Order: sequence, then structure tokens, then C-alpha cells
Amino acid sequence: MMEYEADFWLLVLAGLLQQLVGLAFLGAVFAQVQALHGWTFTEAVLLYGFASFVFGMSPLFFDGLWRTAWLVNQGDLDYALVRPYPVMLQVSGSYVGLQGAGDVVVATCMIGWALSRADISWSPLTVLVGAVLLVSAVTIRVSVLAASCAISFWLQAPHSGFAFAINQLGTLGRYPLTIFGVALRGVLTVVIPFAFTAYFPVSWLLDPGRYWWAAIVTPLVAAYSLILGVRIYHRGVRRYESAGH
Amino acid sequence: MSLVEVTGLTKVFRRPVKDPGFRGALRHLVSPRYRDVTAVERVDLRIEPGEAVAYVGPNGAGKSTTVKLLTGIIVPTSGEVRVAGLSPHRDRIANARQVGVLFGQRSQLWWDLPVRESFTLLRDMYGVPDSLYRARMKRFDEVLDLGSILPVVARKLSLGQRMRADLAAALLHGPRIAYLDEPTIGLDIAVRDRVREFLRQLRDEGTTIMLTTHDLGDIEDVCERLVIIDRGRVIYDGSLAAVKDDFARERRIHLQLASPVPLASLSDRLPDAVVVAGDEPGEFTVTVDRFRQTAGAVISAVLPLAEVVELRIDEPAIEDVIRKVYAGELRLA
Repeated sequence: MMEYEADFWLLVLAGLLQQLVGLAFLGAVFAQVQALHGWTFTEAVLLYGFASFVFGMSPLFFDGLWRTAWLVNQGDLDYALVRPYPVMLQVSGSYVGLQGAGDVVVATCMIGWALSRADISWSPLTVLVGAVLLVSAVTIRVSVLAASCAISFWLQAPHSGFAFAINQLGTLGRYPLTIFGVALRGVLTVVIPFAFTAYFPVSWLLDPGRYWWAAIVTPLVAAYSLILGVRIYHRGVRRYESAGH
Repeated sequence: MSLVEVTGLTKVFRRPVKDPGFRGALRHLVSPRYRDVTAVERVDLRIEPGEAVAYVGPNGAGKSTTVKLLTGIIVPTSGEVRVAGLSPHRDRIANARQVGVLFGQRSQLWWDLPVRESFTLLRDMYGVPDSLYRARMKRFDEVLDLGSILPVVARKLSLGQRMRADLAAALLHGPRIAYLDEPTIGLDIAVRDRVREFLRQLRDEGTTIMLTTHDLGDIEDVCERLVIIDRGRVIYDGSLAAVKDDFARERRIHLQLASPVPLASLSDRLPDAVVVAGDEPGEFTVTVDRFRQTAGAVISAVLPLAEVVELRIDEPAIEDVIRKVYAGELRLA
């Protein structure tokens, strides 16, 4: 990870820049309107920051999953399969996406700024449930990544085009779900549950009375996603053919 | 119970059939056709603890596929593999603890890390106690001379350095059985001798070895049992000495005689041997079955005709046998 030091700083900087561009976009929107489907600028920044934090954690610890397609195509999983350690963890830990560090730094600042201004009644329970929701959100995000990357075991193509398309959908999770059409809302809630990586957890934080169920459903969705993601990945590993004869 | 028990092991790969060129690729997109390729077919194999088995065969015979099946890297189409009672692909993690694997063509070292970091990662993955790790590293260093390459990043290693490091990486956790697929490929003579010496030590310490190689010197140095595979089937399984006794019986004796002797008179005196005249006068090559005629008997038959100035004996090599098998000239059992 620290083999290439200039690369480290460039990637962190790239992550920072990307987040700032997103924030500038959000600012431009709110320069025109007071609220977006009931979301004030502060709340929208909190949502955006939460989603970015979740999305930044994933490259930091699980970016190796993106390499699945290449490893399958090249037959480079041979050694991973003869080590006494889960293949998925060996692959996910094989690379650290340092742009995630930039994401996480900016996202933390956004969350901090928004929390200081937002109207939230804090209690120990809020902190506890908030932490559970954050962990659940990261789990969902990583599970979707694992499942979509595992498709490479069937496709055997050297790139992750499918996984990329699926994960691009995840960027929609940074905005209030209600701004999308019914079909897209359904997809983001049920099919690929990106709505649970930010929208529902933040909604609970802002209005626990109305969104009380989000605190219960989000961890359940996370557990379900994790089981499914790991299952799909392992099903894929069994199809692995290596390379050569 | 045998350490490795393989029964009826078969692996079939499905391969797309495409006509050449872009047109062929397009047609395959609309109406895909596939063909089954059997890489390994009904292989039966038993390996006892402590055995050193050479697994040889021509390119594409199914050697590497067998090793991948035995290590659980790929899942068999049919048949059963048991390694110390475990099924390698079902009990993958438990099996991984007891086996060491080296693919000479690939490295398991982390490309961007110094060799030492790769070793410590593996140590932690296998949970090797620190004292044991240090003792093993010391031993590896003695035979494989690892000391100087430990701080080097893997991508900067020469082939010989890489192979030595990879051997150590494969055996760091002290496996019961080591599958070594071409561990001497592309190595210079000095490194190759070092690797062979290391493998002999490993065998003498009781590690079971399955060695896949094209280098017949490796086999003769390390193994006592030979398994030959061709087109996915095992065509020979027996002791190396037995192969030699059965199929490598020809001993060639090159003679330089002091005076020219007619070929016919030499042949007359050696009725059981094949005698061929060489380029120079008085030069002959006598080929005998080493179980029927000793070199001494040949010499004493020649001596009454002329004095022997020079004498050279070519012992039969396992190489000749295998070359004949590959070329289809010899059918074993």
C-alpha cells in the first residue's frame, strides 16, 4: 500500500477533489431552491456525506474485489485457493483504493458540519443506533460489490463492466430517494438496496419517530445482503477454471 | 490408508467452438456451439506417506489439471479425491493447512512487497508460531540462500531468486505433502542443483512429494516412483527402477580398437549384440542388453581380435524411455 508514495498522495487528492465537485453540484442546486423534496441544504449535505463515507470505506478495505474479473480471466486465483483463508477476503484485501481515504476525509467533514447545524435530539441510543446503521450501510455496499464482481466467475471476461454499471447506481443513493421515479425507487430499495446505504439511515437520524422502522430493517437488509453476497461469491469460486491445461 | 487417494478422477472443460475471425465470433454470438474437452480421464492414484512421486507427461497431457484437482483449486467433473481423508475442494481450508503448492510458472509472492513481507503474511495466514517460523527460515536460508533476497521487492527478483523464494513460501507452514509443478523450469545449473538438493532433504525428512517436471534430472535425483500421464490418462505407474529394468535395458559400449577389424568378425564374436561401425577405422558401437551380457563379456570377446585403446559406456537413461513414450514408439503396460 505504501510502496508508491507519490501515488498515495495523488490518490488521496483525487478522492478529495471528487467529493468537492459533488458538493459544489449540491450547492449549485440549493442556490436555486430552498428545499429538495423536504430536504434542506444541511440535511442534503448530511445525506451526501453519509453516502460518501460509506462509499469511501469500501475502496479503503475492499477495493481488491474489483480485481476479481482480472484474476479469474488470468487464472491468478490458484494460490489464493490453496491458502487457509477465505478467498473473498484474500481478493478484497489484495489492493487498497487510496482514493477512499480522500472520500472519507471529506465525507467526515461534511457529516461533522451538517450534524452541528441539523436539528437532531441526541441520546446514547441515537449514537448506538447510528453506529449500527453506519456499519450496516457499509456491509450492504460491500455485499453488493462482492456479488456484482462475482459475476465475473460466469462471464470470465477480463473487465468488470457489469459490476461497474451496478455500482454506478449506488451514486444515486447520495440524493433523497423521493426525487426519483417509482420504478427506480423500487430498484434501489428492493433489488439493489442502495437506499439503505444512506437515505433510510439518515432519514431515521433526522426523524426517528416517522422512520423508526429504518433502524430495524437496515441491519436486516445488511445481514441478508451479506449472506447473499458471500454465497454468490463462493458459488463463483467453485466455477473457477484456472488457466492453461 | 494412503495419504492421497484418487479414484476415477475426471475433469471436462467446455470450450466454445468458433469459426476463425470476426465473422466466426459473430456467428458464435447468435448460435453458440460448445465442445467438451476431457483434460483428465478416470485417473486412479494412491500415494503413501513419505513417497516422492514424479508425475510426467508431454505438454497438454493433463499434469497441471491433475495437480489443480488434487489441491482443490478446481472442482472435478466426476471422481473422488481424498487427501488425508479430506476432500480438497469441499474442505478447502482444512486441506490448505496440510498441503504446500508451487507452480513454477507463477509466483505466489505479493508483487509489490519485499519478499520478507510476503513470508510474514503467509506466516500469519497459516498461524505458524514465531519460533518455528524462525527455525524454518534459517534452514531455508542454508539451502536456498535466501538472506540476500529478503529485502527485495518481488517484482525486482530474477527468475532464480523468485523460484527459491517461492519454494520457501510454499513450504513455510511445514506441509505434509508438497505439490511441485515444474520447480526447476528456466533455472541455471547452479540454482537447479540447489533446488534438487533442497527437495532431497525435504523427502528425507518425510514430506510426501508430488513432482511435475519436464526435467528428467529432477526425477532421477528426487523420486523413486514414476507416474506417466498422456492425453489425460495414466499410462504408467511404477517404480523408477522397474521402468529402467523393463524398458531401459540397452547399454551402449563405444570402442576404439588399436587396429582396424572387419565388422563381420566382430559381429560373429558378439552374437547377442548389435554392432555398428563408426566413422574412423577401428571405431565401433556395441549395443547390448545389460541383463544378458555384461560389459566385461563384451570386452573379453573383442580382445582376441585387437587391443582396446579407448572405451566409453553409455548407461541407459530414463530419458530415453520417456522420449519413446512421448513419441508414441513405446507402449507401457
